[in-house]
Amino acid sequence: MTADVDHAPAHPPASQAARRRWSRFRATLAVLATQLAILVALLAFWEQATSSNKAFAFMFGSPSAIGGFLVQMVRDGSLWRDTSITGLETLLGFFVGNFIGTLIGLSLWYSRFVSRVVEPFVIALGSIPIIALAPIIIIWFGTGLVSKVAMSTLSVVIVALVTSYKGAVGVDPDQINLMRTLGASKFQVFRMLVVPASLTDIFAGLKLTVGFALIGAIVGEFMSSSDGLGHAIFKAGSLYVIPKVFAALVVTIALALFLTFLVGKIERLLMPWRRRL
Amino acid sequence: MTAGIEAAATQAAAALTEPLLVVEHVAKSYDLNGQIVPVIGDLSLTLREGEIVSIVGPSGCGKTTLLNTLCGLLVPDSGHIRWHGREVLGQPQNVGYMLQKDLLLPWRTALGNTLLGLQIRGVAPAEAEDRSRAMLDQLGLHGFADHYPSTLSGGMRQRVALARTLVNEPDVLLLDEPFAALDFQSKLLIENDTVALVRRGKRSLMLITHDIEEAVSLADRVIVLSKRPTRVKAVYDIELGGERMDMMAVRESPDFSRYVRRIWADLDVVLQ
Repeated sequence: MTADVDHAPAHPPASQAARRRWSRFRATLAVLATQLAILVALLAFWEQATSSNKAFAFMFGSPSAIGGFLVQMVRDGSLWRDTSITGLETLLGFFVGNFIGTLIGLSLWYSRFVSRVVEPFVIALGSIPIIALAPIIIIWFGTGLVSKVAMSTLSVVIVALVTSYKGAVGVDPDQINLMRTLGASKFQVFRMLVVPASLTDIFAGLKLTVGFALIGAIVGEFMSSSDGLGHAIFKAGSLYVIPKVFAALVVTIALALFLTFLVGKIERLLMPWRRRL
Repeated sequence: MTAGIEAAATQAAAALTEPLLVVEHVAKSYDLNGQIVPVIGDLSLTLREGEIVSIVGPSGCGKTTLLNTLCGLLVPDSGHIRWHGREVLGQPQNVGYMLQKDLLLPWRTALGNTLLGLQIRGVAPAEAEDRSRAMLDQLGLHGFADHYPSTLSGGMRQRVALARTLVNEPDVLLLDEPFAALDFQSKLLIENDTVALVRRGKRSLMLITHDIEEAVSLADRVIVLSKRPTRVKAVYDIELGGERMDMMAVRESPDFSRYVRRIWADLDVVLQ
């Protein structure tokens, strides 16, 4: 006879918890070590392949040359300047685009009529490749910061609108009925149920749009600018300084990772109930 | 002029004498892709003050439609629904509503979920919190007020949902299979607590359920519904004697199984 009664205490002893934490840490460590090994192997192969062949080195750059350019960019201050400019454009576009998009997306929940009227226009706007708008944007907003922020905003706004609207209309109708039987007004349903329930989708949108905002800013810089990471990439590319293109790309990737990390941090701060899931 | 006053007087008198809830010849149908599907045929029933009534019926007989109609979430095609002798537009006052799904908001703690109704009605935060804590304590959730729903068991979550309903001190509870998803032990315990709180607070309860044993053990009266379009098929006054606070003890009485068998026969379930 096997009495399968679980007598595990609610709070395992400290040593057991520590052991579990240690084994989880070891699993994470194994993943990190493997990732690092793959990266090192790739870089080593790249370095090896390009060091023996001048033409290859010219075409593909090499990790050491990229590193050299990174050091040089740090020394002459262009790394910090370009990164901060592109970062500022990206952040402004990200905030403005998400703010407007989320506001419209959520408020479309209020009226089935308005959302049906607006739907084809949203789809039409969403299908425009933003790059195609770049020349007009430069004409309208000039070659400074504003045109890049506008590009970045445009790349973000439709995605933010669609994801937040999807979140808002995805709220369980039973939950809305419950709020109504508790006497909630439409605005109370919106504020106490629809907005927080949409947070998951809104944050999924935020994570997605970090990249879009950065692409918008960089495309704007490609078109016309005197600084920023996009400008650095464009200039190095047209001068055939390929390692410098890669160096600027590495910085761009680092910027994207940093911004995504920030969004994740804010998400965990704003949605504490999801931490333990 | 006098006629108007007289009419108002008769209405007031009716409000005093009429049962808490009167449903008269209610019909409701849905439009499914241009095809009219009658769900409720012609339904009349009453719920008196302090009474517990169970409603059972075959699957898909429109029990949930009935409940949503009573709550004012759906408008009947014809017929009348009177609360305290009056027809109500929109949501009736002092009616608590609870479904099989606990519908707890995951971003609110047990306490936050419980005080939702009080917050909506603008009760002062401190008072709302005190009342909600007291209600959670009464339902055996002392110490879990600050837990998020994702960390609670199914039975505990349903208790929080019950606390959310009861903290508003409704005169009437409308429950739609509230315990159907729970295991047998949790179910009996929460049934006991529900009945105790309803009887002690002199509230009324309408319980919609699939579970005939649950229907008989809890209720003063069981209403059996027919297949769609739904109408009342039979009504049983359940007389099992005594206070009936213990849902396990009730099940041991020989009359209990007699009721269950008769209702089962009424439901006319085809065994395959």
